[in-house]
Amino acid sequence: MSTMPDSPQQSTTPAAELSHIRFSYDHGSTWALDDVSLTVYAGERLCLVGPNGSGKSTLARLIAGLTAPDSGAITLLGHTVYTSSAGPNAAEYRAARRGIGMVFQNPEDQIVTTVVEDDVAFGPENLGLERSHIGERIEASLTAVGLASHRASDPTRMSGGQQQRAAIAGMLAMNPAILVLDEPTAMLDETARAEVMTVLDRLQARGTTIVHVTHHADETLHADRIVHMEQGRIIEIANPHDAPCPEPGVVQTVVPVGTSDSVTGGNLPLLGDQALDSEPAGTHASAAIRVEHLQYRYGSGRTVIQNLSFHVMQGETLAIMGANGSGKSTLAKLLCALGKPTGGSIEVSGVPVSQVTRAGKLRGANREQLMQLRSRVGYVMQHPEHQLFADTVADDVAYGPRNQKLDEAQVQTRVGDALKALHIEHLANRSPFDLSGGQQRLVAIAGVVACQPKVLIMDEPTASLDMRAKARIHELIRTLQRQGVTIVMITHDRAEAFALADRVTCMPDEHETVRETSVDTNGSSKPVRNHSYVGRLDPRMKMVGFLAAMFTMFAVNTPAQLILGAAVTFGIITAAGIHPIRLFSAIHPILALLALMSLTNLIVVRTGSTLVSLGPLSITSDGVMIAVLYACRFALVIILGAVFLQTTTPTAMTDAFESLLHPLQRLGMHTQEIALVMSLALRFIPTLTGETKSIIDAQAARGGSVETGSLGQRVKAMSAIIVPVFAGTLRHADNLSLALDARCYEEGITRTHWRVFSPGPADALFAVIIIAYIAAIVML
Amino acid sequence: MSISSRIRMQAIRSVAPEAEGAAGSTANAKLGSHSTGVADSGRWSTRRIAMYALFVALAMVTSFIEFPITPVAWLKYDPSGIVCLIAGFAYGPSAAIIVSVLGFVPHMFADPWGSLMAVLVALCLSVPASLIYRKIRSRKGAALGILAGAVLAIVAALLGNLVITPIYAHMSYAAVAAMILPILLPFNLAKMAIHAVVTFLIYKPISNLLAKQQ
Repeated sequence: MSTMPDSPQQSTTPAAELSHIRFSYDHGSTWALDDVSLTVYAGERLCLVGPNGSGKSTLARLIAGLTAPDSGAITLLGHTVYTSSAGPNAAEYRAARRGIGMVFQNPEDQIVTTVVEDDVAFGPENLGLERSHIGERIEASLTAVGLASHRASDPTRMSGGQQQRAAIAGMLAMNPAILVLDEPTAMLDETARAEVMTVLDRLQARGTTIVHVTHHADETLHADRIVHMEQGRIIEIANPHDAPCPEPGVVQTVVPVGTSDSVTGGNLPLLGDQALDSEPAGTHASAAIRVEHLQYRYGSGRTVIQNLSFHVMQGETLAIMGANGSGKSTLAKLLCALGKPTGGSIEVSGVPVSQVTRAGKLRGANREQLMQLRSRVGYVMQHPEHQLFADTVADDVAYGPRNQKLDEAQVQTRVGDALKALHIEHLANRSPFDLSGGQQRLVAIAGVVACQPKVLIMDEPTASLDMRAKARIHELIRTLQRQGVTIVMITHDRAEAFALADRVTCMPDEHETVRETSVDTNGSSKPVRNHSYVGRLDPRMKMVGFLAAMFTMFAVNTPAQLILGAAVTFGIITAAGIHPIRLFSAIHPILALLALMSLTNLIVVRTGSTLVSLGPLSITSDGVMIAVLYACRFALVIILGAVFLQTTTPTAMTDAFESLLHPLQRLGMHTQEIALVMSLALRFIPTLTGETKSIIDAQAARGGSVETGSLGQRVKAMSAIIVPVFAGTLRHADNLSLALDARCYEEGITRTHWRVFSPGPADALFAVIIIAYIAAIVML
Repeated sequence: MSISSRIRMQAIRSVAPEAEGAAGSTANAKLGSHSTGVADSGRWSTRRIAMYALFVALAMVTSFIEFPITPVAWLKYDPSGIVCLIAGFAYGPSAAIIVSVLGFVPHMFADPWGSLMAVLVALCLSVPASLIYRKIRSRKGAALGILAGAVLAIVAALLGNLVITPIYAHMSYAAVAAMILPILLPFNLAKMAIHAVVTFLIYKPISNLLAKQQ
């Protein structure tokens, strides 16, 4: 074995040896990997590069021990896990995997719970480490990725870069000898990308073996070796110190990435700094987009767009850059009337999307104007491939034109033209779900272009694509420019922005000062820990107690019982230290229901003395009494539920759930697995909700409407939403199952627990109070 | 064939009978399994856990999308039943039970009785449907399953309303029973009809998607 001369850390000990690997996704018709042999040495940093579909990700998964090949031999960390003759060896795989960590492209799909330290603890728990060791591992690995101050944060609310660092920490906590990363920065902005790369440099210095799949040439700079793949084969193994290697066969524009300029948007003019009044009156070019004093506040109260004014001339291409979270995507949606601004006016292609009336009120577009807007303005959302739904590519692309009620011949012309513009005519009759990610992106964009918009809004159209697919989209943009289409393009790629746009601007960041950057800032992701009496109760006790109290409340039938119930409820609110206003905001959606319930009771109760009588309806004294009583007791139930939810983290809830279910294990129930399902489900709610919303928006922008049109159209519109939502659900599940594998989760393993229950006197007191209350209700 | 791949095959067969030929042919049985034999050693592979979790999450999300479909404002339609049905078709009755029960847990602390009833109705709909579909694996079987499930679910919903309505409104059972024909039955019929039509329409694309997952 030859020594590798130019790297001091590199040893000659193989960490992973793969020989003559073949791997097929379609039972041997085509080979994703064809006779690949590669040895990864302990301590080296290896980069895997190549176009989409070249087999990099598959190779990475094989090195991580997450999947087995069709033939060849693999030895991982000294364990012979696969040979052609014997097939996969589960015990050896199991042993090898404990020493290998893997980080995936999508940061969100690797998070298993809603508290950072619990998430990091998940792997060590699966390895059965002792509790004290788990604590040390959490501490050390979070420090290694610069998230030590975020132990208690909710990872689902952190920035993409932080999530990805948390995912790396989750792997480090398992003390891996090899860390495999599959395009870990593909979904991150420049700042976040730099954060992750810093962490990798640090790990490299510590001697961790790193296998890194990437599309970014600049990310290979610190690699010891660069393995170049194409069509399932290794075509070259290069040394980066000789020449940083771009993807072959594609002319690559030089990208000065990683400089401070590209990270912050640097010296770019801010969007909105353009002097509007300098525009000479009555020029030939009129504005296709006029935005004046635009303001947008999230439901959470955070202002993201503040007094923003700008114009985009007809036929102009505007690129908007800027940090994640600065409101670029929000702006794109507002321009397409997919959201309501909180102030200011927007006019796009002559349609008033939002205008300030004389009375100072905001008015959105009416139905007719909206129809007009939909036919003139195209919207390519982030990851538009997630909106594909139809049986064939041609059908999917035709969705927009058909919604414009064109006749079938016209629709077919539009579809043909759009597919041709992106060079994907040959895919017309394929199912969009059979295509590669890059092809899917092109199909989705064709679906928007087929509507022949006069104004096209694109949100990161080339993110995480390889050079070839990017080049196709760049070509399309140039064609549209020649046709006079006005384009607004959001991008993180500075070179792309300057190559395509007439004007490159940076989105003003309204919360720059509080934005979470690298290490120690207090962000919104920090939950307010409830340290009150109720907050500290054993969650099992709390869950059972609250449910008992809630069900008992329905037995309240007299004013005396109601007073007791109210007293106990207010006692609990006080002991939970919750501000009544916060509580009210939690229950106010149900007030309408309460009012309706009271009204029903007022009418249906006929006993007692009549107070008012209106024809057949009469309101009696009993009716009033019952209406008040029923409404109050239901309100108390809801308040108790809200107090429980506000003082208990989802993790505590699922832990309690598992612990309470535990006795059922004897009956053959998989309680550990069911609790994990529950915990993962709660964690994925925000993800699925957000995704569903963006799919609804994207289809609406193509003119799909569930509310209007014939029954057939509505059903079509509905399936255009439901099918992509299911597709997304399955995609997340796929990613998640790999992430669980990477964390060494297995059915029925003996796990240790980082969080332990320690019921004390406080819990006993709570039990006594609840029992006394139930007894009192029964007696009164 | 390992137990897990047998289960996976069963899942494929149950949703996409047409995919069976391709995946099940013995000639290439060894190719394309790619199983390491680790985390899918038991009945609950990590893939199964991940699938269940995502379906439960989807049921939770859709259960919050409520809107009235009849003039009676307090009876609201939500599409979560569709998710329970699809889960049952794709992964069998146990999946239907897990999604139907866990999917309504978040409602437990807002409306305890209402969520118990929602669980009961979802179970009555999805479990018989998946049981019948397991026996008759065709479009006809799916239709029969949904029909049987819908009838049971409507009966359960009506009985449930008899018990639960008096907890919210001061009404006698007789008074609630009087509402069945004019109010409760039409609502539940409409609800099940929407479930059935939508499930049927998305059956093909979704079964193709499921079949693609190895």
